[in-house]
Amino acid sequence: MALPLNYSLRNALVRWRSTIATVLGIALVVFVFVLLQSLAAGIEKSSSNTGDPRNIMVVRKGSTAESASLISRQTLTEIRYFEEIARNENGEPIISADVLVLASLPRRDGSGEANVLLRGVTARGLELRPQVKISEGRWFEAGKREIVVSAKLAKRFANFDIGQSFKTGSATFTVVGWLEGGGSAFDSECWLDADECLSTFERDMYSSFLIQPSDEGAGEKLIARIEADRRFKLKAEKEVEYYRKQTMTAAPIKWLGGFLAVMMSVGAVFAAMNTMYAAVGARTREIGTLRVLGFRRRSVVAALLLEGGLLALVGGVLGCAIAFYWNGYTTATMGMETFSEIVFEFRVTPKLVVEGLVFAFIVGLIGTLFPAIRAARLPVILALKSI
Amino acid sequence: MNLPSFILKNALRNKRRALLSVLSVAMSLFLLVTLQVALRELTNPINDEGSSLRIIVRNKVSLAQPLPARQLQTLDRIPGIVAVTPFSFYGGLYKGDEKFTSFAQFAIDPQRALPLISDAKGVTKEQLDAWSADRTSCILGKMTADRYGLKVGDRMQFTGQIYPCDLELKIAGIYYGTADDRNLMFHQKYLDELLGNPGTVGTWWLLAASIAEAPLVTDRINKTFANTSAEVRAESERAFVLGFVSMWANIKTLIGGISIVVVFALILVTVSTMSMAIRERFRELAILKAIGFKRRELFVLILAESFGLAMFGALIGAGGAWVLFNNINIQKMTSGMFLMFEVTPQMLGLAFAVAALLGLLSAVLPMINVARISVVQGLKTLD
Repeated sequence: MALPLNYSLRNALVRWRSTIATVLGIALVVFVFVLLQSLAAGIEKSSSNTGDPRNIMVVRKGSTAESASLISRQTLTEIRYFEEIARNENGEPIISADVLVLASLPRRDGSGEANVLLRGVTARGLELRPQVKISEGRWFEAGKREIVVSAKLAKRFANFDIGQSFKTGSATFTVVGWLEGGGSAFDSECWLDADECLSTFERDMYSSFLIQPSDEGAGEKLIARIEADRRFKLKAEKEVEYYRKQTMTAAPIKWLGGFLAVMMSVGAVFAAMNTMYAAVGARTREIGTLRVLGFRRRSVVAALLLEGGLLALVGGVLGCAIAFYWNGYTTATMGMETFSEIVFEFRVTPKLVVEGLVFAFIVGLIGTLFPAIRAARLPVILALKSI
Repeated sequence: MNLPSFILKNALRNKRRALLSVLSVAMSLFLLVTLQVALRELTNPINDEGSSLRIIVRNKVSLAQPLPARQLQTLDRIPGIVAVTPFSFYGGLYKGDEKFTSFAQFAIDPQRALPLISDAKGVTKEQLDAWSADRTSCILGKMTADRYGLKVGDRMQFTGQIYPCDLELKIAGIYYGTADDRNLMFHQKYLDELLGNPGTVGTWWLLAASIAEAPLVTDRINKTFANTSAEVRAESERAFVLGFVSMWANIKTLIGGISIVVVFALILVTVSTMSMAIRERFRELAILKAIGFKRRELFVLILAESFGLAMFGALIGAGGAWVLFNNINIQKMTSGMFLMFEVTPQMLGLAFAVAALLGLLSAVLPMINVARISVVQGLKTLD
C-alpha cells in the first residue's frame, strides 16, 4: 500500500527551515539555467525571425557574414539581368545591392563606444524587406545625408533621437526616423541610402545582394547558377537560411548555462542529500513504525522520493517564475558574426520551462535516492528501538 | 579529552554529513573561483609594460574600415615613435574547414615590426632573415603550432573571410614568450599583392619611445589626422582591448550578476544544512549547559566546528581550483579561448572570506536558539 501524499507534504513542512533553504537553492539553480538559455533562445529567435523565404541572399564565398563580404560593382552588372530574377512593373530587376559598414559610435550612457551596423540600401531593398517598418518619423531621402536608426538601438546610443545628428566617416547624418524590425536582426541596424554610404565611407564594393526570383523553381536555378559560376566566387542561399545560421553568439552562452547548471546542481544535490539524510535519521522510529504497520519498503522509498521530488519541483517552478520576470526584456551584446551590437530579448520558451522543471525534479530525486534507500533498509526492530 | 579533540569528535561523528557539508562548500567555492577567473580573463586585458608602450591606430569610423597606406610617411615624421608597421587583421579560416577563426593572422612589415615583437623568443637570426626575405612566409606562435602539430617549413592554407583572397604561407619560425603566443605574422606586401595593391592597411601598430611619451604620441597622431579624409583613433594596446570588452555590453554585467546568484544559492543551502547539524544537538548542548559550560564556551564549540568544516571545504574547493588551473593546459582544453586562467591571491582570499562568513552564519543562527532556551526546554527537545 502506498503512503498518502499528505505524509510527504507534512514531512516537508514540519522542517520548514531546511525546506525553504532547499526550495530556494534549487529555485536559484533553475533560475540561472533558464535565464541563460533564454538569452541564447532570444538570439536564435531574432535570427530565425529574419528574412523572407522567397528571397535569395548573395555574399562573397568564404565570408561568414554580410558585413565582412565584398562584391564588385561589375558583378552587379553581370548578375542584374539574369532571367531568373523577378521584374517589377517598370521592368526593373528586383535586386538590391547593399553596403554594410561598421561604425563605432558612442553609447547613450557614456560608457564608451560600440560598433553599429549601417546598411546602405536601395528602394528595392526596402521593398524586399517588408518586415521593416517605420515606427516614428519617416524614411531617409537620398542625397540629404539622412539616416533611419533602429528604435531599439536608439535607446542605447547617443544622438539617435529623431532630429539629432552624428558624424561618422566624412559625413554628418541626421536621424529622421526610427525603424522597427519586428524582433528580427534588422532591429540591430541603421539604414541609409546605398550610394551615399559608398561615398561617405570611400567604398567601391557592395557587401551583399538580395534578390527576388521570379518563382520558386527560378530561385533554385539562380542559386545553382551563381554558385557554379567560377568568375564570381559568390555564395547564394535563401535569405532565411543565411540568417538561421547567424547564431554563433548564442553558442558560448548556451555552453555557460549548461556548465553552471551542472556544477550548481552537484552542489545542490550534496546539500539536498544532507537534508534528507537528516530527515530520515530523525524519523528512524517513525519509519520503523510504518514498516510494522505493514507499509512496504518500496512505499517508504516512494514517499521519501516524492517528498524530495516535490520540494525540488516547487523550487523549479519558483526558479522559472523568477526567470520569467525577464521574459521579453531587451538586452544587447556584440554579435560574433557581424561584430556589431545586436539587440535581442530574453525568451523564456515553454521548452525551456519544461527543461528547467525536469532538471529540478532530477536534482530532487538524486538528492533523495540514497537517504530513501537507507531508510528502507533499516531493520525494523532496531529502528523501533532508536530514540 | 581536551577541547580540540572534543570539537573534532563532534565534527566527525556523522562522517557522511561532514563529508557532504565539506563537499558542498568546496563545490560552491570552486565555482566561485572558476567564475572569477573566467570573468577576469574576459574583461581584464594582460597588463604588461609593453601593452602601454604599444599603440594601435585604427580608422575613426570603426576597426572594420581600412586606412590609407599613404599615412605611413606622415606617421614616420611624428616624434616619439620608435617603430611603426602596417597591422592588418586577415581573419582567415585555417585549412578552410574551421567554423570560426581560432587564432589571428596579422599582415605586417617584418623589418619595421622587429622592435614591436622583440619579446618573441625561439626564432633564430637566420629564420628572421628568411622570413623577411620570403614574402610568402610567416612566423607562428608556439601555441598554435603545437595545437596543429606544425613545424618550421610546413605550409598553411587560409580562406579569407574578410579579405577576398586566400593565403598559402610557409612557416619560417615559431616564437614564444609574448603576451599571446597564438598569432601568425605574415607580409603586408603579400596581402597587397593578392588584393591588387588597394593602397590600404587595416591598422597601424607602433611602439612609443617610453611610457611617459605614449599618451603624447597618441594625442599627436589623433591631431595630425584630424579633419583629413581618414581620421584615426590612436590608443594604447591596453585601451584598445578594453574597448573590445566594453562592446560585450550587458552580457558582462549579466554574467557577473549570475555568479553572485550562483554563490548565494549554494551558500544558502549549505548554511541551512550545516546549522541543521547543530540544531539536532540541542539536547546535548543543554546537558553541557547543565553541567556548567557557559554560553560563550558553547558558542566557541559550535563555531569551531562549523568554521572548521567550512575552511576545510574552502581548502578543497578554492585550493583545488588553484591546483587544477595551474596544472591543466587551459589553452588546449578551450581551443585557445582562455589563455591564462590564473587564480589570483585576491580570488583565494575572497573564497576563504566567503567560507569564513559561511562558517560564522551557520553557527550563529542555531546559537541564537541555544542561548535563548532554558536547560529544561533543551533537555526536552527530541531531535
